Amino acid sequence: MPEWVYDWFSYFVIVYSTLVISSYVAMAVLAFFEHRKHYTYHDDDYTIGELKKSPYTPGVSIVAPAYNEEKTVITNVKSLLSLDYPDFEVVIVNDSSKDKTLQLLIENFDLVKVPYAYVEKIKTKPFKGLYKTKSDNPAFKRLTVVDKVNGGTKADASNAGVNVVSNKFFICTDVDCVLEKNALYRMIWPTMASTRRVIAVSATMRMSNGSIVEEGKMVESHPPHDMIPLFQDLEYTRSFLIGKTALSRINAMQNVSGGFGMFDREVVIKAGGYDGDSFAEDMDMVARMIRYMCDSGEDYRVVQIPETCCWTEGPPNFKVLNRQRTRWGRGLFQFFTVHRDMLWNRNYRQYGMLTLPYILIFELSAPVIEFLGYFMVVSLLVQWAINWSTIWIAFLGLYIFAQLLTVLIISYDVWVGTSFKKRTDYLWFILASLLEPFFYHPINVYFSLRGYVKQILGTQMVWGNMTRKGVQSANKKPAQAGAAGSTAVSAATSVAAAKSAIEEKKEEGKADA
Amino acid sequence: MEYYVLSRYAYWKYYLLILYYRLAEYPPVIRVWAIFSTISMILIVAIVIGNLVRVVRSATDTRIIAHNRVKYWDKMKQIALEARTMEPLEISALLELPKNFKMHERQHRRYVPMLIDMYRQYGDQMNKVNWQRMLQVLKMPIYFEEQVRSRSIRKRIVAFKNVADMDANLKEAVASRYLFTKDRKLENNARLHAARFGTSYPFKVLLDDPNLVFTDEMVVKFHNVLVYRQQNGMSMPNFIHWCNRTPINEELRIFAINEIRLFHRREDCAEMLSMLQNSRDERFSCALIKALGAMEYVPAEKEFTRRYLSASYTERQELAEALGAINSGNPKVLQFLEDDFMQTTDYVTRMMLLRVIHGYGSIGLQAYERLKQESPKEFAIYFKHIECDLIDSRRYA
Repeated sequence: MPEWVYDWFSYFVIVYSTLVISSYVAMAVLAFFEHRKHYTYHDDDYTIGELKKSPYTPGVSIVAPAYNEEKTVITNVKSLLSLDYPDFEVVIVNDSSKDKTLQLLIENFDLVKVPYAYVEKIKTKPFKGLYKTKSDNPAFKRLTVVDKVNGGTKADASNAGVNVVSNKFFICTDVDCVLEKNALYRMIWPTMASTRRVIAVSATMRMSNGSIVEEGKMVESHPPHDMIPLFQDLEYTRSFLIGKTALSRINAMQNVSGGFGMFDREVVIKAGGYDGDSFAEDMDMVARMIRYMCDSGEDYRVVQIPETCCWTEGPPNFKVLNRQRTRWGRGLFQFFTVHRDMLWNRNYRQYGMLTLPYILIFELSAPVIEFLGYFMVVSLLVQWAINWSTIWIAFLGLYIFAQLLTVLIISYDVWVGTSFKKRTDYLWFILASLLEPFFYHPINVYFSLRGYVKQILGTQMVWGNMTRKGVQSANKKPAQAGAAGSTAVSAATSVAAAKSAIEEKKEEGKADA
Repeated sequence: MEYYVLSRYAYWKYYLLILYYRLAEYPPVIRVWAIFSTISMILIVAIVIGNLVRVVRSATDTRIIAHNRVKYWDKMKQIALEARTMEPLEISALLELPKNFKMHERQHRRYVPMLIDMYRQYGDQMNKVNWQRMLQVLKMPIYFEEQVRSRSIRKRIVAFKNVADMDANLKEAVASRYLFTKDRKLENNARLHAARFGTSYPFKVLLDDPNLVFTDEMVVKFHNVLVYRQQNGMSMPNFIHWCNRTPINEELRIFAINEIRLFHRREDCAEMLSMLQNSRDERFSCALIKALGAMEYVPAEKEFTRRYLSASYTERQELAEALGAINSGNPKVLQFLEDDFMQTTDYVTRMMLLRVIHGYGSIGLQAYERLKQESPKEFAIYFKHIECDLIDSRRYA
């Protein structure tokens, strides 16, 4: 390969990695100020106490699509019904499950089909019926089950749920998610405390794999002890406590997770609801909501709260991880083709001028640059042209920075009120952080690139079921911001090696001359 | 041999010089990386130490709070629930406090969760005099005063919240200095404190502030404060007066009307009706309509029907709801609702009208049956929906 290629690539990588690190430093600082603000002004117990006794507390609906969830649906619906909040409803959307999901719901909650005047505010697959309880149990009265023709996507089922919710705000989650008892209070508070209209609220999500869950309730929270969910837990925490928190501070949030997020119903309906054809339906939804608000000249906010409100089961093996990450990669690529007009567009304020360029440069491009970095390293290895005496310091710098981020998220997590039962559980995070750049990250790069290629080739992709330990459920959307940091670290490490080698080669060349 | 004692600054300089000369032969990129790594490592060590200190402190706090609970909970509960009024000396003796009892700020802080917990559990049953005297003996008011005067904004805000949570006594003058400050959250907390415990005219500050930002959070908190005042026999504000004051804050006016509805102040209905006649703001009109409807103020019916046809869908829904709530049995009103049911194109309004007609006594049921017969086939589902007892049509319509 000609020398100018190495030259050009090395300079490019220096600029790129400097930008990545600068962006992460900026986000860590912004997140610090946001956490400090939260710590200074927010008091969970006091807030809950005030909301509990007030007639002004707004109602909240929970929409949870269910497809072939017979193993866990009853326990999880009971868990949702036992949440602490004065006025809420739970809407389960049965997407024509092939198993006994609907039958079990009918039997356990004493449901009957009612003549509901269904209005299709958002287009979905045909509505089959709505079920309400005839039991006198007040908790069961909060439950509504919607049955519809299978739409093949979570988006279609969620839209059917949005069509029947009666409250101004609704939370979109999955039936297999475990919610914190006070989650609804925490989610609604930002909408009340803000002077601007809050159109979506996101909360920190964690992996439930290592935790003790009884009857759908979180008893003891621990980090996963299997490596893949542990890596993902670290990635989620980094994304929520640094990336999203920082972007929330400047009102530039890119995504509200489909696993757990609260939305303004009116704006969702006006924005057209979830797009069933999108592989990143939650990110796409937020983009369309923001587009609607900006086009109508209204002020808005998308908020991230630091407290953990939801636990979800992470992919247990590489097969499931592959499917999940390929879909995320594909979804991200698809998202940019759909919303490219918002990029660098002043009309879309921070979202167009900051968020989308950030995603494009540091999330969409990162796997490609990282892959090229690996390629360069291999190429230099073949030529035995790597400067081993200097590579270590470049690697060390980036590796230490990655560890700094991990220590920082642990610190933030302790600050906002740790979610783990024991403080020593954080040692698992440190272990994951030490190993992540060597194993987990390169694999994810491969999966993301696979997603891009599939999207470019237009390969038909079946959503499929994500096999969990005893659970069948739809896939979830990524915590994208978190991925960027480690992407950059690995990419920059590999290309920094290339840079060292080039300088070595140059020096050798000079000496020869 | 001479020995030179270097200052701290000189040690740092020496270290950095070594670093500089060692790395001088390397390319600039490597030098930058070295500096970056050094800074990162220092930060890691600092954060780890900081976290460890925080964890140790928190563990100590938890241990001492648990210890205090074992030692004092029963005694404090006994004092708070004692029907007989106890003297401070007696309370002090029961709690086994020394004569010149004095506590460090940290120790006071550790008592706070227990006291809040006790007030939440037994607040309704306790002897308020004994409770206040016990707080005095523990010197909690002095502690809160110090916290409110501290430099930390968090400490000030937490102190205001704690005072509200345990109904402690804090001088009005201490809070009044924060009634107008740059920090909106602190300002709001001070205002809430003044509103809760103030004896003169604590809501004046709301009316006098031209830059008032009255969020939903403040609506919730101020309502709770008003409920507290009512329960404790304290003076209540004249809400209708708030609507006529300048500078007019739209949110505050709506809040005042909602409070009239929630506290069921029927004496204000006539004035509210005259306000409605002159109102052009949709949100304010809706609040007035809702309040007049909830208080079943029959003279408002005429104005409601007058406004109806020129109103927006949101206001129409409120009007229909209010007419249904008044339920005067007036056939003219019913005819009016029936006509609109056939004419309206909005689904939500139609469902709401149908529900109101269905609930409008016996003449309403007759009209409902008549509509059922006359309506087109596609409306059948609406009637079934309204008739189904299992659907809360108030929520779903």
